[in-house]
Amino acid sequence: MNTYYAANLLIFAGVDIIACLALNLQFGVSGVVNFSFIVFQAAGAYAAAVLSMPPDTAPDYSFQIYVGGYQLPFPLPWIGGAVAGGLLALPIGLVVLRRLRADYQAIALLVTSIIANTVINNARPVLNGAAGLVLVPQPLDGVVNTNTNSYQYLYIGLTAICVAIVWFVAARIVNSPYGRTLRAMRENELAASALGKNPTALKMVIFIVGGAIAGLSGAILVGFLQVWAPSTWLYPETIILFAAVIVGGRGNNVGAILGALLVPLGFEEVTRLLGRMNIGPPTLIPAVEWVCIGLLILGFLWFRPKGVVPEQRRVFPGAPAVEDETRWVVGKRAR
Amino acid sequence: MPGSEPMLGARDIHRHFEGMHAVDGVSIEVMPGRITGLIGPNGAGKSTYLAVLAGTLPASSGSIVFQGEDITRLPAYQRARRGLVRTFQLPSEFGQLTVLENLLVAAPDNRGESLLGALLGKRYWMPDETRLVAQARSLLKRFGLLPKESDYAAMLSGGQKRLVEIMRALMLRPRLLLLDEPMSGVHPSIVNEIAGYLEQLRDDGLTILMVEHELHMVDRLCDPVIVMAQGKVIGQGSMAALRRQPEVVEAYLVG
Repeated sequence: MNTYYAANLLIFAGVDIIACLALNLQFGVSGVVNFSFIVFQAAGAYAAAVLSMPPDTAPDYSFQIYVGGYQLPFPLPWIGGAVAGGLLALPIGLVVLRRLRADYQAIALLVTSIIANTVINNARPVLNGAAGLVLVPQPLDGVVNTNTNSYQYLYIGLTAICVAIVWFVAARIVNSPYGRTLRAMRENELAASALGKNPTALKMVIFIVGGAIAGLSGAILVGFLQVWAPSTWLYPETIILFAAVIVGGRGNNVGAILGALLVPLGFEEVTRLLGRMNIGPPTLIPAVEWVCIGLLILGFLWFRPKGVVPEQRRVFPGAPAVEDETRWVVGKRAR
Repeated sequence: MPGSEPMLGARDIHRHFEGMHAVDGVSIEVMPGRITGLIGPNGAGKSTYLAVLAGTLPASSGSIVFQGEDITRLPAYQRARRGLVRTFQLPSEFGQLTVLENLLVAAPDNRGESLLGALLGKRYWMPDETRLVAQARSLLKRFGLLPKESDYAAMLSGGQKRLVEIMRALMLRPRLLLLDEPMSGVHPSIVNEIAGYLEQLRDDGLTILMVEHELHMVDRLCDPVIVMAQGKVIGQGSMAALRRQPEVVEAYLVG
């Protein structure tokens, strides 16, 4: 196992963990079925790309067409990626989350994802269309030599710092009275509104927070891959992340991390290994992968809807002892 | 204590669904310190009316004044914050929250309930949380559910869920409680228990407007009683007086 492969694995893990923590805040904790999640990751990736790239008139870049090109130093492109994800959540949220019923919200968001991808794919002057952006500079390019093994470790370290920050934010939200209100809204929105909670405002805030975190995940990814194109953020990518959160355990941050490691990363690795073994026609393995993800979601929703690591039950200090009806719970139950 | 100024006055409320007049020009006044009953046959528009008062359904027309303020255009959550709190006909507990958490959610003044407050951490909001846990536990004790505080609300019986809903509403310190059939789907032994709690709350000075089908409970608790049929008010007064009105008897009280 060489350094590049290890870096690849760890950075993808970090990006998937960040994305799953964000989706868990929206879907797992708050019940917002954000089927356009991947669009926010893409927004962060594009934003980070055009913030770090030179203008498209620069000699090496003139074969691409894109807006911006500001050559901002690290970490501004990553911060910009997060801001872009958060900002994008504002108009989408205002349109989708205010008036529609929850099930229609999910459909509207799915359609949003397809529209966004189609538009960017076909509108070349904005972000170079279907060909996408290439030669995206890596963070600290020009400051340090990016072609060394130690740069790979540096990148892993930067990703780990972002994972830690996102974990901190997600944990504080989930374990707070604010998180409790979000869970109450998930359980029964009408009852929450009858108790003085404003569901639209609650959803908007978590939509923006999740969008910003998704944007950050995209920024990390594009800085590593150095390319970003519409084919990397088709709507099925969102389904993979949903599968991860469902398998890991909705509403539990540890579950989201476990899901990120099992589903997006696990499937990626297994299909890559199987691909080397020349089984059947070349399209077989990716097709089987989708069947497996579908079966995985169905299987868990049917047999273990709470996921591998279910949401923790909150027991408050001084409470009378109770029998625990949940089985093989990982981690501590009471706080 | 019973006073002379109505706590809530609703004038000429209409609510249409695609041409169907569920509520057709209903005006009522709710006097403080009393349990006002709202009865009538199925489909009379009682639950719709309650929802319009609480703001969970907008009125098609009419005006609602609560404690001297016109609240007709306010959304449900803002009415709740002003002390007008409803419960639901169907169980509406937060199932995957514990009983204690169901109560804590409803508390309006917790510093940890904003995104910023949450990010500032436990040290910032724990004093509020501790105070509210104590408050919620005293309610749980009063309603006999303290041993269940750590159970998921989804696991409770129908009657216990009703009690959780009422306690949850009380955590908001409401001025007017709107109860939609608090006895429905409840074991008969708990019906008496709930009635006892409601009497206690009334004696504490809480004003209640309740939709109810169990007439012997309406007899016991409610004065005055408003009778609705086909979207209109067809009579009001004490149960004894209503029993002497032929149109009320014909529409509802027979059988």
